[in-house]
Amino acid sequence: MCNVVLRRAALLAATLVWVVCTPARAQHPDASHSRFTGFLFGDVTFAAAEGDAAEGFLMGQLVGHGNALLTERLSFFGELSATARQDGYAFEVERAIIRYDFADALKLSVGRYHTPISYWNTAYHHGLWLQTSVARPELIRIGGTYLPVHFVGALAEGSLAAPGIAISYEAGAGNGRGALIGRAGDAGDVNDEIALVGGVRIRPDFARGLQVGGSLYTDRITTEVASADERIGSVHAVWDAGAPELIAEYAHVRHEDDASVVSTSEGFYVQGGYRLPGVLSGFKPYARLERLFVDDADPVFESLTDYDATIAGVRWDFETVAALKAEFRRDRRSGGEWLNSFFVQAAIVVPSFEAAAF
Amino acid sequence: MKQQWRARAGTYASIAFLALTMQAPWSSTASAQEFPVAIVVHPDSRVDNVTFDDLRRIFTAQQQFWGDNSRITLLVRAPVARERKIVLERIYGMSEDQFRQFWIGKMFRADVASGPKIVYSSEMARELVAAIPGAITFLPLDAVTSELKVLRIDGKLPTEAGYVLR
Repeated sequence: MCNVVLRRAALLAATLVWVVCTPARAQHPDASHSRFTGFLFGDVTFAAAEGDAAEGFLMGQLVGHGNALLTERLSFFGELSATARQDGYAFEVERAIIRYDFADALKLSVGRYHTPISYWNTAYHHGLWLQTSVARPELIRIGGTYLPVHFVGALAEGSLAAPGIAISYEAGAGNGRGALIGRAGDAGDVNDEIALVGGVRIRPDFARGLQVGGSLYTDRITTEVASADERIGSVHAVWDAGAPELIAEYAHVRHEDDASVVSTSEGFYVQGGYRLPGVLSGFKPYARLERLFVDDADPVFESLTDYDATIAGVRWDFETVAALKAEFRRDRRSGGEWLNSFFVQAAIVVPSFEAAAF
Repeated sequence: MKQQWRARAGTYASIAFLALTMQAPWSSTASAQEFPVAIVVHPDSRVDNVTFDDLRRIFTAQQQFWGDNSRITLLVRAPVARERKIVLERIYGMSEDQFRQFWIGKMFRADVASGPKIVYSSEMARELVAAIPGAITFLPLDAVTSELKVLRIDGKLPTEAGYVLR
C-alpha cells in the first residue's frame, strides 16, 4: 500500500518536473487562437424485434459536444449526453478533457476519455451520425462490460511522421474499471492498482485511408463478486478511403483471479460498406459480422454471454448533416434461438455557426 | 437540296458567331483555369518547400505544428471558389459533403481543437495569412501579392512544369 502511494507520488512529481522544465511559449488568450466550436448529435430509432427487445420508437442519445481552443496550446473538450430510460433521462459526462499540446509528437491531457483500447470507441464516440451502422458492435457497446468504454486518468498522445508513413501513439494511466465494471472509476480508483493503456496506429501514405493498429490495457478489477488482474489486447485494420469502408477489430480479454485461475474471452467484428457512385452517392449499403466468445467460468463476466450477429443495412445521407439508416439484424445469445430485428434510424448533427461554414 | 444545305450552313455559322461574340460562361472559366493554385504562408515562415505528402498531412491536421513548434492555422476558402474545388480534389480527395463530414468527425474525436478558419474572399485570405503567424492557405496565383510567401511543392513553384495544383 505504502509502495503504491510512493510510486504514484514519484510518477506525479516526475511528470510535474518534466512539464515545468519543458520550454513553452508564454500562454495568453489570443484572438487568433481562442475559438469555440460546438455540436449537437441526436437520433431516433424505430425498432421491430423478435424476443424481449424494446420495440417502437426509441429516443436515442442527445449528445452535446464542445471544443474550446483557449490558447495556442491549451484546449478543452467536453461531451455530455442525455439518454432515454423508462423512468426519464439519464445525464452523463461522457468526456471532459483538458489538453496541452507541446508539439505534434506530444500532447498531454487529463480527464475522462473513451478508452483507446478499441478503434470504434475512439472513432465514433456517442455520435450515431458519425458511424455507418445503427448500433455499435457488441464488444464495445455503450453500457457493455466486455471492454472498458470509459477511462478516467491522464493520457500522452502524439504522432510522428516519417517518409511515407505516419505513426500515432497513446499511453495513459488511470483509475480503470469501477466497482460496477461497466463504469469508469469517476470518483476515484476502487483499488490501489493503476490501469495502464497504450496503443500504436500506423497510416501509410501510399494507401490513403488505411490504418492498422493495436492496443494493450492492464488493470486490477475489484467488484463485489470477484477480483482479478485484467489484461486486454486488441488489434484493428481500417480502410476508409471515401467510397469503400472496411473495419475489422479483434479484442482478447484475460482475467486471472487471486487463485491464479485464468479465464480468456475473445470477440471480433468485420464491417464492410460501399458508398455508391454518381447520383446514388448518398447511399451506402453495409454489412457486419460479429462474434463474442465469453468464458463461462469467468466470474468478472458473469452477466456476459456469447453473442453472434449478422447485420445488413443501407445508410442514406439525404443531407450533409443528416442520415437515415435501415438495418436488418439477425442475432442470438448463448447459442440460443436466432432472433430477427429491423431498425430505421434518423441521425443528425447540428454544428455551431463556425463549423456549419466548413 | 442545295438551298437547304446553304440555309443549314448559315444557321450553324450564326450559332458559332453568337457563341464567340457573346463570351459564353465556359469561355471565362477556361481563362480562369490557366492560373494554378498557390500554397501561401505567413511571410515570416521559415518553410520554403513541402512535399505533397506533408501538404496533405497539414491540410488534414495530422500535422498541427510547424518545424519551429508554432501552431499551424489553416485558412480554407468558402465553397464555390475554383481554388477550393482543386484543393478538395487533389489534396483531400473528397467531395464538399465528405469534406464537411471529415472536419466534424475530426473535432468530435478531439483530434483537433478547432477546424479550419473559413475565408470568404481572396482579399480576406491574404489579410489573414499575412496577419497570423503560422497561417497557411491557398490562392489562385494571380491573387498572390508580394507580401506573401509562396511554398514550393516537391520543389516546384506554381509557374513551373509538373506543379501539382493546376
